[in-house]
Amino acid sequence: MTDLSNSEGQTMADEPQQDYQAESPLLEAWRMYRRNIPALFGTVMLTVIIAATFYGMFFYTGDAYDIVWAPHEPPGVTPEFPLGTDYLGRDLIAGLLTGGGPTLAVGAAAAALTMVIGISLGALAGFYGGWVDNLLMRITEFFQVLPALLFAMVLVTLFSPSLTTIAVAIGVVSWPQTARLTRAEFLRIKQLEYVTAARAIGAKNKRIIWKVILPNALPPLIVSATLTVGVAILFEAGLSFLGLGDPNVMSWGLMIGANREYILDAWWPVTFPGLAIFFTVFSVSLIGDGLNDAFNPKLRER
Amino acid sequence: MTALLEIEDLRVTFNTRYGEVTALDSVSMHVNEGETLGVVGESGCGKSITALSTMGLIPMPPGRIAGGAIRLNGEDLTKVSDSRMRSLRGGDIAMIFQEPMTSLNPVFTVGDQIAEAIMLHQKVSRDQALKDAIALLDRVGIPSPDKRALDYPHQLSGGMRQRVMIAMAVSCRPKVLIADEPTTALDVTVQAQIFDLLNEIQRDYGSAIILITHDMGAISEMADRVAVMYAGRVIEDATADQVLDSPQHPYARGLISCIPALGKGAQQDRLAEIPGVVPPLHMLGAGCSFKERCSLTNARCGSEKPQLINHGAHPVACHAAEEGRA
Repeated sequence: MTDLSNSEGQTMADEPQQDYQAESPLLEAWRMYRRNIPALFGTVMLTVIIAATFYGMFFYTGDAYDIVWAPHEPPGVTPEFPLGTDYLGRDLIAGLLTGGGPTLAVGAAAAALTMVIGISLGALAGFYGGWVDNLLMRITEFFQVLPALLFAMVLVTLFSPSLTTIAVAIGVVSWPQTARLTRAEFLRIKQLEYVTAARAIGAKNKRIIWKVILPNALPPLIVSATLTVGVAILFEAGLSFLGLGDPNVMSWGLMIGANREYILDAWWPVTFPGLAIFFTVFSVSLIGDGLNDAFNPKLRER
Repeated sequence: MTALLEIEDLRVTFNTRYGEVTALDSVSMHVNEGETLGVVGESGCGKSITALSTMGLIPMPPGRIAGGAIRLNGEDLTKVSDSRMRSLRGGDIAMIFQEPMTSLNPVFTVGDQIAEAIMLHQKVSRDQALKDAIALLDRVGIPSPDKRALDYPHQLSGGMRQRVMIAMAVSCRPKVLIADEPTTALDVTVQAQIFDLLNEIQRDYGSAIILITHDMGAISEMADRVAVMYAGRVIEDATADQVLDSPQHPYARGLISCIPALGKGAQQDRLAEIPGVVPPLHMLGAGCSFKERCSLTNARCGSEKPQLINHGAHPVACHAAEEGRA
């Protein structure tokens, strides 16, 4: 018996020599992520886009709202305005750099709101089950069957179309998916043994929800949050395109919406903001995919 | 003398698609301070439900405590408030689970988890709790505990994880420690170490241990007294020696004969087995629930449920034992 316990002690005592470091699941996911080239490409692309929208105007002089030249100047003709001008003669580059900020901000805020509503309701439904679950899921289904864009349009029309209203409207229409995902994760995790074990040491429900189950449910939720950012940006663009954006704030969607009538005469004022949206959402999707691969142990090869 | 933990006529039912099923039927057992009670029986005979009822962890609904009492120091746990039960859980009664692989939270370090358990019941700072956690890891025989405390569960072996579970369970010096098949998932050498550790803990803290197992070897090594369960009932209640040497109930006898005899003089006969399986709880008819698998049945076994009565040596629920046919 004594030599048996020694043998286990031996192996454990030997381990520190390998100089291995305790690695949290998050660190491990990061290690996986670093090896994912498309995901890294997406990260770099999004960083560049964010940097450009935040700092671009420090380097590029010009005002997005000023009429500076003749309207519909094609790109590459006048050196001062490489991407040309829009239907009022405003500089497109200044528009892109200024309009990115609000677009990204609305996207991020809407995604954050989506996650907050979705995770709270999904967690309560999944954890408590019974009538709480029934009630919350019926509410979720109610929101799910409403046509999202139409509902958002109604909300924006009812209240003044400011950036905040738009973010809230997008958040309010897109949380059901997150709620269902959270609920599913909670239903799965709440019957695992470490939840019972946490109860057995006397943990309260609140602690079990937030400190035991939620951290374990996070990986798919992080992925979904990333993808939600992309969807929210598209949503904002869609609303602006339909003329429901904040008319006083330059955004990519607004640029497309304002110039769409002249698309047959001038393709560039619509195309460039469109490309900006495309690349942003594309990079966000690449990141989301990368996170999915990094967190999903089934896809992880060692 | 009153027992530290006393389960009396406990009846637990579950609502299933077969209607209400009685998972525990007038189960009585008790354990005294510093004593180890073994609870044995096949899978599905109610051992774990007994443990979970004691911890107040039966999912309700569908479960329901339909009758009886669980008294810890005279306080009936089936009647206390949720918050009182929470402070008892992990404080006065703690539990060790079967699967050390899955009973630790994978996203926190083991040191953190033990510290959390300490802070739930004691007013100490986080730093102090972490120090205590490292001391506990040392106590349960984990080498270089200050380093292991920073490990995540998946970095530890099964035996190490079960030690961590034990450290967490004993962090508040529980009066009653319920070990639900603590070694089933571990290999044999580690099993012996874990039993040694449990014995040491019991010696140091004076805790009562309820050891739930289907391993008669574990019983002979650990238990002072044994309650044999079958189909939701206690069918024999005796000291470990009595059960191992002279089991009265045919089922207990069957369990004992299932232990393979090793050594020089051992005959290499076919290992004994108990024919059949535990009947599904919703299909229990009148009479003794063991009648289909028993070789000593008579008409009375089919009609009358045997009660747990002392017919001589110790309490046993069997008509055959009562009538001296056994």
